[in-house]
Amino acid sequence: MSTMSGLPGDTNGTLPRHYLKPCLLLLLAEGPSHGYELLEHVRRMGIKGAEPGGLYRYLRAMEKEEMVSSWWEPSQAGPARRTYVLTEHGRKGLNESVQSLRDVREILVTLLDRYDTLSTRAGASRP
Amino acid sequence: MTSSAPKSEQLRVLYWRSEILQVLYWLHGEGLGDLVDIGLIRTYLGVEVLGEVQENLSTYLDLLVADGSLVGDGDWYALSERALADGEAQMATAFTDLVRPVLSECNDECWCQTSAAEAEACARARHASDHEPGKAIT
Repeated sequence: MSTMSGLPGDTNGTLPRHYLKPCLLLLLAEGPSHGYELLEHVRRMGIKGAEPGGLYRYLRAMEKEEMVSSWWEPSQAGPARRTYVLTEHGRKGLNESVQSLRDVREILVTLLDRYDTLSTRAGASRP
Repeated sequence: MTSSAPKSEQLRVLYWRSEILQVLYWLHGEGLGDLVDIGLIRTYLGVEVLGEVQENLSTYLDLLVADGSLVGDGDWYALSERALADGEAQMATAFTDLVRPVLSECNDECWCQTSAAEAEACARARHASDHEPGKAIT
């Protein structure tokens, strides 16, 4: 997705560049949601710097890609809110994103295992 | 992202009018505030559209103020009372369409329950939006 190349300041170099996408797809796979609710959840999932403008643009872009759909939901207690749901295309996107994350995890696990092995060896050889 | 904005100026005015109003309705609905300035609108519309809309954004906002959709106060803009009422009405209508019963959900009094032919006629009529389920067509 070219519209959202990651949210500045939200990853501190620790999260994948497009981590917001699987987060949103997963949250919507769990059930329909609203903008502010999604914002709260993605912050709890590690994207602490997520801000409403970026989320809004990301949701719009995902809607154009037909990964999510949305409608205005009137409320008795307050103004109408936009409700977002995952589409079938979005579910496929989630599966692909998760597979991609699994691949990254494999690479990281390999690196960490080698590091641990090296550390153990280095520790054992110390007097 | 390539912008979806139409090429003709008249349609572009309508397009950006809708985009701007949607941002304000979204912010209002999420409880994130009712006052916006150009900078915030730019943030929500996204950097990719800046080249296209940057020069005209003030004009589009002024047009929305002129037609009574927005209230302007210096650098700040807010949805007018009328726009809020219009928006609520439009959203309610859209929602009504979503929750309107489908054919199989018509009640027992609906004339479409009497036969398959009537049911087909009911579906056609409702497709043309001239029949409310449960009510007879005159």
